[in-house]
Amino acid sequence: MIDYDVFRQFGAAISHLGERAQKVELDDTQRVARAKAVMLAKIDRGMALDLEACVKCGYCAEACHFHVATNDPKYVPTRKLDLLRRVYGREVSPLRFVRRLFEREISADELREWQELVYDACTECGRCSYACPMGINIARGVNVMREALAAAGLVPDELLAVEQEQEQRGSVFGVGARELQAAVAQLRAAGHDVPLDKPKADVLVLTTVIDILLFRDALAATVKLMNHLKLDWTLRSGGFEAANFGLLSGVEDEQRKATRNIVNEAIAIGAKTVIVPECGHSYPALRWEGAAMAGRALPFEVLAISEFIGREVKAGRLKLKNAGDRKLTYHDACKLGRHGGVLDEPRAALRALGVDFRETDPKAEMNWCCGGGAGVFLLNRAAGLRSKAFEIKKAQIDATGAEAVVMSCGSCRLNFMNGQAATHWPVKIESLVELVGDNLAG
Amino acid sequence: MLRGMELLELARGPLLTGSLTVFFAGLLWRFWSIWRLGARAPLAAPRSRASGFSTVFTRMLPRRGFHASATLATVNPYLYHLGLAVVAFGYAPHIAFVERLIGAGWPALPDWAVYLAAGVTIVSLCIALLYRLTDPVLRLISGAGDYFAWVVTMLPLATGMALVTGDAASDPVRLAVHLLSLELLLVWFPFGKLMHAFLVFPARAQLGRFFARRGVRA
Repeated sequence: MIDYDVFRQFGAAISHLGERAQKVELDDTQRVARAKAVMLAKIDRGMALDLEACVKCGYCAEACHFHVATNDPKYVPTRKLDLLRRVYGREVSPLRFVRRLFEREISADELREWQELVYDACTECGRCSYACPMGINIARGVNVMREALAAAGLVPDELLAVEQEQEQRGSVFGVGARELQAAVAQLRAAGHDVPLDKPKADVLVLTTVIDILLFRDALAATVKLMNHLKLDWTLRSGGFEAANFGLLSGVEDEQRKATRNIVNEAIAIGAKTVIVPECGHSYPALRWEGAAMAGRALPFEVLAISEFIGREVKAGRLKLKNAGDRKLTYHDACKLGRHGGVLDEPRAALRALGVDFRETDPKAEMNWCCGGGAGVFLLNRAAGLRSKAFEIKKAQIDATGAEAVVMSCGSCRLNFMNGQAATHWPVKIESLVELVGDNLAG
Repeated sequence: MLRGMELLELARGPLLTGSLTVFFAGLLWRFWSIWRLGARAPLAAPRSRASGFSTVFTRMLPRRGFHASATLATVNPYLYHLGLAVVAFGYAPHIAFVERLIGAGWPALPDWAVYLAAGVTIVSLCIALLYRLTDPVLRLISGAGDYFAWVVTMLPLATGMALVTGDAASDPVRLAVHLLSLELLLVWFPFGKLMHAFLVFPARAQLGRFFARRGVRA
């Protein structure tokens, strides 16, 4: 049961988040130099191919929820890479000596202009890559642009505040080890057996600030599930936070630090599996980028909780009760689905629940983003843009006729709840792990 | 001042050799310039061992699920790409020209089919230019290179069409101009966006591999 007072408090806290940011003061020359240094360091063979291959067909515009929702040409995805393309053209490309004569240097004003394009107006959902006839990975380029802007001291204040808190205090939204322990105490008082800080365990379960503060039922459902399956598992107060604001803000040092914290914790307890909670970006942060951040292959497997559930269901180890003839649809969080590969498993779980499952159109890897990913749901000035983009998602869900939309990402869930509150949308918003936790059989 | 035959000899001889040299050397140089940058092998364990190479072919067709675009905007690029291929590789004089250079040829398409393809291609390229000039998205993202690529693509078509009208055989200048326009295309090809004709394969394969590792259909 969501405490809507906490939800409102959370919203109020977000609206003042930026005030806590310690702004980085740099002159314009330093900003440009730092941004360029990051861009040049990140341009490898793959990036060069992406930057060279664009034929400016504009097809990516039709894939982007921000462009489709506003019809504003400035949001066309490939344009978000223009500064990167210019730095590549002038400094790296084979024709750099000629291109320097015709293409101007990037400027600090342009970096400031691009802040809106790559933070507010891009969730790095990767849908544009599906429309691109050349196969360009635009989201990857946008992530490099975020890193360049971060180096130039141009991270939006809200993201900067959370990134700085995670870097300096190891907590997110004030949630650290003590708050986790308090949440565990509450779960224990409710009758759940929560193995906290076991020195050795096969499975390290991560959680996240949103689950501790707001979606406590998702954490409770995870605990029920782990115990139901009789796993040797633990939560660790020294390394429980799955969210990685280094990745979202573009501060790679912090991304590395947050990842290594989890990796070291998992190695210390001898974990064979690390389970990531319902937090979209946390999954690719650890599953797909964790090894690069740790500097070596990870000695454990990383599973999203929805992936884990689906795998157990498919293997017959997890039986679920029939959840009734409810009409449900599923929203694929972009970071889990299109950029994570967790597409079939959540569907296997929903089908095992015996509900009237209805796919959206388009579905799975082609699904629309909700507009709140990659930290966009935290940006106050992006609220208008975000709600326009959410209209696409809402219409897509409405077309299924479902009474509830299930998802496995806390950020998406918050974004859906915001959209629901603003429009009195009657469709229920549910968490996959909670649905499964409520329907464990046997 | 060069006379017609002298201009034709120049276009057929040293200028053709030079432009072909620039074309092939430029292709290698452009690929090498990208390749030399190196790439770090991904460390994350792949979900799938599939290569994702099929993306090279599947991207030839528009994907279902995107916001409906104007039918013409989707169909038009097929028209000029296929039309260019038919004109460049299906026309008997072009095949004879290549045969003289490399000693190998292939059966030609009937002239009427090639003329039809050329006409369709010219109209289609004009429509593409119209889109680029009038569509707000395309106008915003287009640069001089995009328009220059259009010009160097259109010139051989236009000068080629000029050859099939009237008594072209008695006018070596027209043939020379056609060859010169082809040579301009060859010289520019490796350095501008026309290079996408080659870059498309590694670019698509790269994205296919990226998604395949993650177990996602690309």
